[in-house]
Amino acid sequence: MTDSFAPREVHGKPSSDRVRQLKQAYLEAPLMVDIEYIRRLTESHRRTDGMEVLERRAEDHAYALEGLTPIFHPGERIAGHKTRFIRGAIPYANYAAGPFLREMRRQQQDAQQKYVDLGEGGGVQHARREAEGGDSEVFSGKFLISRDELAEFRGICEYWEDKCLMEAGDRLWKTSFPGAGFIEDGWTIGLFTAPHDPCPEGRIVLDFRAALSRGYLALIAELEQRIATFRPGGPMGPDLHFWRASLRSLRGALVLAARYAAEARRLAAAEASPIRRDELLAMADACDQVPARPPRNFREAVQSFWFTYLLGHLEGAHLGYSPGRLDQTLFPYFRDDPSATWEDAVELAEELFVKMTRIEYIASMSWQGLGHGNLYQNLILGGLNSLGEPADNLLSKAFLQAQINLQMTQPTLSIWWHPTLSDGFLRTAVECVKTGVGYPAFFNLETYVRHEAAVTGLPIEVIRENAAMGGCTEPTLEGMSYGVVQAGFVNQGKLLELAMHDGVDPVTGVRMFPPCHPTTYDDVVGSFQDKMHVAVRNWQQYWNYVMLAHRQTVPLVFCSIFVRDCLGRGRCMDDGGAVNNRTPTTLSSGLVNVANSMAAIRKVVFEDRAATFAELQSALVANFEGHEALRKRLVNAPKWGNDDETVDRVFLDLFDDYVNWAADQRNYLGEPYDPSMLAISTPVPFGKACGAFPDGRLAGQPLADGVTSPFPGTDQNGPTAVLRSSIKVDHTRIRGGLLNLKFHPTALAGESGAQNLLALIKTYFEGPSFHVQFNVVDSHMLKDAQAHPDRYRDLVVRVAGFSAYWVEMSRALQDQVIERTEHSL
Amino acid sequence: MIPTAPSKTTGVVFDVQHYAVHDGPGIRTLVFLKGCPLRCAWCCNPESQGAGPELRHARVRCRGCLRCVAACPAGAVTPGQDRLPVFDRDSCVRCADRPCVEACPSDALSVCGATMTADQVVARVAKDRAFYRNSGGGVTFSGGEPLAQPDFLAACLEGCRDEGISTAVSTSGYAPSEVLLRIAPLVNLFLFDLKLADTQEHLKWTGVPNDTILANLGFVATNVPVIVRVPLVPGCTDTPANLAGLADIIASIGVSQVNVAPAHGMGISKYADLGRDVPLDVIPPTRSSLLEAVFAFRSKGLICDAF
Repeated sequence: MTDSFAPREVHGKPSSDRVRQLKQAYLEAPLMVDIEYIRRLTESHRRTDGMEVLERRAEDHAYALEGLTPIFHPGERIAGHKTRFIRGAIPYANYAAGPFLREMRRQQQDAQQKYVDLGEGGGVQHARREAEGGDSEVFSGKFLISRDELAEFRGICEYWEDKCLMEAGDRLWKTSFPGAGFIEDGWTIGLFTAPHDPCPEGRIVLDFRAALSRGYLALIAELEQRIATFRPGGPMGPDLHFWRASLRSLRGALVLAARYAAEARRLAAAEASPIRRDELLAMADACDQVPARPPRNFREAVQSFWFTYLLGHLEGAHLGYSPGRLDQTLFPYFRDDPSATWEDAVELAEELFVKMTRIEYIASMSWQGLGHGNLYQNLILGGLNSLGEPADNLLSKAFLQAQINLQMTQPTLSIWWHPTLSDGFLRTAVECVKTGVGYPAFFNLETYVRHEAAVTGLPIEVIRENAAMGGCTEPTLEGMSYGVVQAGFVNQGKLLELAMHDGVDPVTGVRMFPPCHPTTYDDVVGSFQDKMHVAVRNWQQYWNYVMLAHRQTVPLVFCSIFVRDCLGRGRCMDDGGAVNNRTPTTLSSGLVNVANSMAAIRKVVFEDRAATFAELQSALVANFEGHEALRKRLVNAPKWGNDDETVDRVFLDLFDDYVNWAADQRNYLGEPYDPSMLAISTPVPFGKACGAFPDGRLAGQPLADGVTSPFPGTDQNGPTAVLRSSIKVDHTRIRGGLLNLKFHPTALAGESGAQNLLALIKTYFEGPSFHVQFNVVDSHMLKDAQAHPDRYRDLVVRVAGFSAYWVEMSRALQDQVIERTEHSL
Repeated sequence: MIPTAPSKTTGVVFDVQHYAVHDGPGIRTLVFLKGCPLRCAWCCNPESQGAGPELRHARVRCRGCLRCVAACPAGAVTPGQDRLPVFDRDSCVRCADRPCVEACPSDALSVCGATMTADQVVARVAKDRAFYRNSGGGVTFSGGEPLAQPDFLAACLEGCRDEGISTAVSTSGYAPSEVLLRIAPLVNLFLFDLKLADTQEHLKWTGVPNDTILANLGFVATNVPVIVRVPLVPGCTDTPANLAGLADIIASIGVSQVNVAPAHGMGISKYADLGRDVPLDVIPPTRSSLLEAVFAFRSKGLICDAF
């Protein structure tokens, strides 16, 4: 059986030659750094010293937009690119110049870098190959940059070195915050993810519905009116600077659209093919119309969405910036356009998705590794309308069909699950799951509505209508929520180690806490919780300093225009202009390992008395070498994911304590932090930073993935038992959640397989559960793909809240996906 | 329905699998009862055949540390020539606390089969109640031969019925007719194996003739929905004559649905783990012979699929 494996049941093809070529061009392209935007931004910033912060930010951004080269790749019908390249990233030196400079100086970028692995294949390999003997160099591990631009970029980074967000933030907290030493030591030992300043934006969805239906000219008129009638009225009133800055941003945006229109006409004049000429002229017309005015048809609606999406994306270093409920945003234009067909919708969606996948990000290597190259653009489908009726429509299905055909890593598709959604839509969703790409992920709408109603007090109908996903598995209210949320993580596994080893990190020897000598099981748990409390509190405070520095250096102006009610209140998001300021989260991962470890300690040390606490400590330090019998006892203790009441209760108690504690402190905007648990790629670097655990996990092994996913190999009672454990976790108390299930393709085969999967999801979502996603792939195939990456260039698998091209994943992450327990029967 | 009293009836179960999707409709839990009167040459679950718990030594996991040799109080484990332990199953005294299993650091040793009460089985099955409700699923008792533990099976079925759980029994059909009389009213669906149409062939490959089985199928099919399952074993059950013969029998009895189950060699290593010789080197059927078999049944007007 090792040399054969079950194929994935569904394997789609792009719906046209046009899309096939666009996808192929993507697969063959190297990853590039594009300095055009940051060059213009820096040029402006050198001149704007002395301007008020918001107006300066808007001026610099608008000036940069006005100089971007309009790019049209062959065959595409939607205008607008973030960079000049097929796969390009903008290095936002205004956010964090330090890591780039340290890279150029061949220094370690940050303390976390040693824990993070990058992938080797695909576009990374293309970049490395092209760098060999050419005029270009590999930069930041996987990007290609020309030598000339690299030299210029060095100058840009040197300019920003003392002005960027990261430096401004560091200056603040390192000199004022008593917990600064704890944070820095925490980075050294892998207690926290690396500084997040290089890509702090995102987890946000703009108000695309308003952007389309009103058009920028109407917004400009509104702003002119507001400015004309403004009278200074003290610090509590609207901020005139924000309105002036917004006006400048919108005008810059329209210049960029006009440049695209002109370029399309120039290309049309030189175009030999009459068909392509007409396409280019149609694009020119569309760029004249939108985003300035409301779209006149479906195609212009797509173009208008894409411009606003892109312009917001250009402003900041985003991760998790998302299109939101695009099936809802675009459907009125599709419905009212007599010439728009199903085939048009699918093909245009495919083109749009290729464009989204082309956006790359470059940050510190640590964050490149944590995000694994994925921008977490999350497009969520289905859900309910404000009246509580099922909202899935023809476009919802068209977007699923487009990804069945394409299987690109972005955008990741999600479903707001509700029992009233149509069967046809849900079955198309399962078809997409069966391709093996790992999406759509399924999210329980009712759980989120209850969470958001409890924390914001907003009416249910407002939450239903605006519920979206801002990033991997993090829900948000689209067009009305603050976006610079904390995306750094606390490593719960490391806290466990500190509790096990008297407050000293056993890997580095760094002392983080005073000595503690637990003598009872409750002591051990209490010691862990005390340490978690200190770590979380420091982490939250640290981030508040970064948010303050963000306001002073890179406040989001353009994005604020499209977040209610910034314009009405005359305040940008950084000043609390959003309706919902409860979005900053406190993230952690690894709690499953902590719960498993606590259950094992209780059983083996305090109940069976098979080892003393000191013996356990030495076994952990020795990574169980010479302590195999003890390890076996620990491994055989109850484990999360089997619906075992003893260990599940441990998890739930730890979860409760974390949630209560994390919500106990306020964010920079004065609202309580929202507790959350996610994963992204943290289980791999967090695990790498940790020694052996009392649950039998060996040193360096990744932690359990997701939030409620069992540790690989420990769920021995099938997927229903995993769900029965996970369903006990009250996800209405947190913003997020993540459960991975891996199925062998035969377990979901055919129509009955689809029905059973839908029944499984329905059952899980009858409880206060939040998320589930599926890898449907034969592990033998993944092993074959490790051995023969060249045969699997377009294989996509689910990692955490995102999917990735297999060949571009690090070996460690590949191993983690292979080792997840595969459910088959 | 008046709930039946809690059942302390015990039986031997060798596995419980959740989210089974190929043994009846919807999401099901499969309960494997230990012990089988047949000895099918292609059996992929040899650990299911003996009636009591059995020691299994997974040779692929064994590191040859021989801690089991020292742990055994009866001297039933000795070092073999390849440094792997050899188990003298006749000398094994079946200690309750399993010192050899406990001593094994690599989980190569395990005991197949555990004694459970019917209540325990029902409680375990009932945990997935919500999954059955949403998928139209339920419980399937398999084996071994579940009819070989009639009291225990009846108690389990009654308990499941009291819980509102739909029941299926996967059987070889080889049992006294009074057992089927007693069990059938408690079952919503029978998955009934038919292997060979000719009784001599049946005796040769399974160790028993097929007359009782066919009589039982006739009785069951008039009372309870039945799906007949035919294992497709190259060289044993896949001859055109056998398939045609089976199709005639099935059609004449009035069953309309047949599943063809291709044999696989995945159970072969387990024979060595149990200290037994492999009775038949099973080769999976080719795709075309699988399709031919399906066609053989469809041509007789039967609804037939393979998986």
